[in-house]
Amino acid sequence: MPEAAVSLNRKGSGALRWLGRNWAVLFLLLELAGFGLFGKNFFSPENLQNILLACLPVLLLGMGETFVIITGGIDLSVGFVMGFGTVICAKFMLMLQTAGLPPGGSIPLAAVICLAIGLIPGLINGTLVARLKVPPFLATFGMYGIAYGASEIISKSTPIMGLPPIAGVIGNEYFFYVVPGKPFSFLLKPENLTAGEMRGMISVLPILVVIFFVFVGIFAFVLRRTRFGQHTYAIGGSVDAALRSGINVPAHLTWIYMISSFFASLSGMMYVLKYVSGRADAGSARMLDSVVAVVIGGASLYGGTGSVKGTIIGALIIATMETGMVNLLIPSHNRYIAIGAILVLAVLIDQFFPELVGRGQ
Amino acid sequence: MQRSRNRAGAAKVLTFLGERWAVFFLLLLLIAFSLAERNFFALKNFSNILYYSTTYALLAAGETFVIITGGIDLSLGFVMGFVGVSSAMVMRDMYAAGRPEAACLIAGAAVGLALGVIPGLINGLLVARLRVPPFIATLGTYGVANGMALFLSNGFPITFLPPRAQKIGNSFLAYFLPGKGFTFFNRPEGLQSKELRSLIGIVPGTVLVAAVVLLVFAFILNRTRFGQHTYAIGGSKDAAIRAGINVPSHLLRIYILSSMFAAVAGVLYVFRSGVGNFTTMSASYELFAVAAVVIGGASLMGGKGRIGGTVIGILILMTLENGLNIAGIPTFSRYIATGVILIAAVVIDQLTPERKAGGA
Repeated sequence: MPEAAVSLNRKGSGALRWLGRNWAVLFLLLELAGFGLFGKNFFSPENLQNILLACLPVLLLGMGETFVIITGGIDLSVGFVMGFGTVICAKFMLMLQTAGLPPGGSIPLAAVICLAIGLIPGLINGTLVARLKVPPFLATFGMYGIAYGASEIISKSTPIMGLPPIAGVIGNEYFFYVVPGKPFSFLLKPENLTAGEMRGMISVLPILVVIFFVFVGIFAFVLRRTRFGQHTYAIGGSVDAALRSGINVPAHLTWIYMISSFFASLSGMMYVLKYVSGRADAGSARMLDSVVAVVIGGASLYGGTGSVKGTIIGALIIATMETGMVNLLIPSHNRYIAIGAILVLAVLIDQFFPELVGRGQ
Repeated sequence: MQRSRNRAGAAKVLTFLGERWAVFFLLLLLIAFSLAERNFFALKNFSNILYYSTTYALLAAGETFVIITGGIDLSLGFVMGFVGVSSAMVMRDMYAAGRPEAACLIAGAAVGLALGVIPGLINGLLVARLRVPPFIATLGTYGVANGMALFLSNGFPITFLPPRAQKIGNSFLAYFLPGKGFTFFNRPEGLQSKELRSLIGIVPGTVLVAAVVLLVFAFILNRTRFGQHTYAIGGSKDAAIRAGINVPSHLLRIYILSSMFAAVAGVLYVFRSGVGNFTTMSASYELFAVAAVVIGGASLMGGKGRIGGTVIGILILMTLENGLNIAGIPTFSRYIATGVILIAAVVIDQLTPERKAGGA
């Protein structure tokens, strides 16, 4: 490998190297351009914000998966832990509501409970991987079954409905509403609009996007700038070296898997706020998405590489495709074909041009 | 001296238990459910367990080959759905065009099995020639095969198949009528409805097909050079290359084989249910397949695993499901049980002293 790298350096194929390093961004731009050309109103502010909304679940699961993959592990349980999160969140909202709590109390309380309980699958995964040396693939595969079974049983195999409607307001409102010729209005839709004005109204900044990008920002900072992040990369680079340099690897790995399941339940909470229901299979398709986002983002499954920025781009690629397919009226199940193909493409690029891509922190 | 000998003896017992715990566990399950549930210990119910095991056993057998080489195939469940849908579509369309039923069924099955090669070929090329990690390559096919099945079926089951499909799929090797004795292949004719109800089918036809396939491949894995090479690659790829094994071409064949197992499962599913159905995202066939293989004593590091062990793994999972069902415990608890047993199997393997390296 190093010889090849040297020879490439000598050839100085700078353009190719740049291409290898930035193909994901280029792919995203290409996608945007393609859908922009063939789609209808693809670049409307509404549609662009829809892309951001669509990328949230992928991004949230992908965030946790990024941490895990950097350490050289994998978390297969994220999709069903997300479903578990939706079920727990919705169930507690209902219980607190019937206990007579106003929505102002029941919604945040249920959210906190959901996030707290959501740490348990991660704790179990982490303990299995870090202390009992179960391969991450199998430990989280087991949790995948356990989380799904548990949420189907808790939800009695039917979506949990009848939540306080105000939950949906938080999930579907925007920060600003702009009606041409009228002043801004914050948070709530302006009232008494004519149908024409309604159509001209532009909604800016979905609340959900803001809330969850704050979380993403915090953890991006943790990964890039703190000792915790450094140790994460160190473990992925070489567990032995990390041990020898005095990192408490088992404890660190346990935290990593807890972060992953934290993000999964965060994503579950978001689902409840957006769709005002909880269902066991809410995230079943998302495990694939999250791994794809992380791998597109430049992480290697062997550990040691990966970044939040890359995962964001990966999530945007998936979300753009999803939104674009809706825009072009392509049946949405075709997304699986595209996502599977993109995953293989990403790995092939990684495989064939390791020197080009120049993976590193 | 005495103590060390004792310790060695204890280690031997532990090793013995650690390697054969699956068999004991299966027996324990059978005994426990038989004692606890009145309806469990019945010929009909055991026949039932086998009937529902076939799909899983076939998928898990394919997975066994892959896991022995140190790989993994996550795409099996969706390949099965893709094959089921396409095979059913051929049957439906030919039947609608007025072809004879037998021709429809044979053509449908043939098309299904032929299409089943493709995902395996792609997986194999990616893993063997392009060195994509098996996990990622088959996760890609998992997405693509799932998308193809949904694309072909538009998200609806394929119905209006020749009725004979289901008749064949639900036939039994033998029928037993209490008081009248056995008949083979065909139901005894001229029965009253009361007699019909007490008629017991023994060995479902699909189970027979699956059993033959499994026996053939257990033989291939245990006794042929192909099997030897499979273990050799899993033991050490470098050593296998140095021993002159054409590793890429062998791996390619392994992934095609595994995909073919899924295709057989898909075609049998069509015959059994009379519809062609895509695999839902939460069906988790891959979980059950991998769990069975691991329970059967394989290691994800490769080099270990047996078809017999895998079949015991599947029987454990399906007996558990059947028993829990009869006991009135929610169906989905089987996902929990499978997850727990999978993890337990790995931990047991981890804690078992002096693990055997080979194991054919």
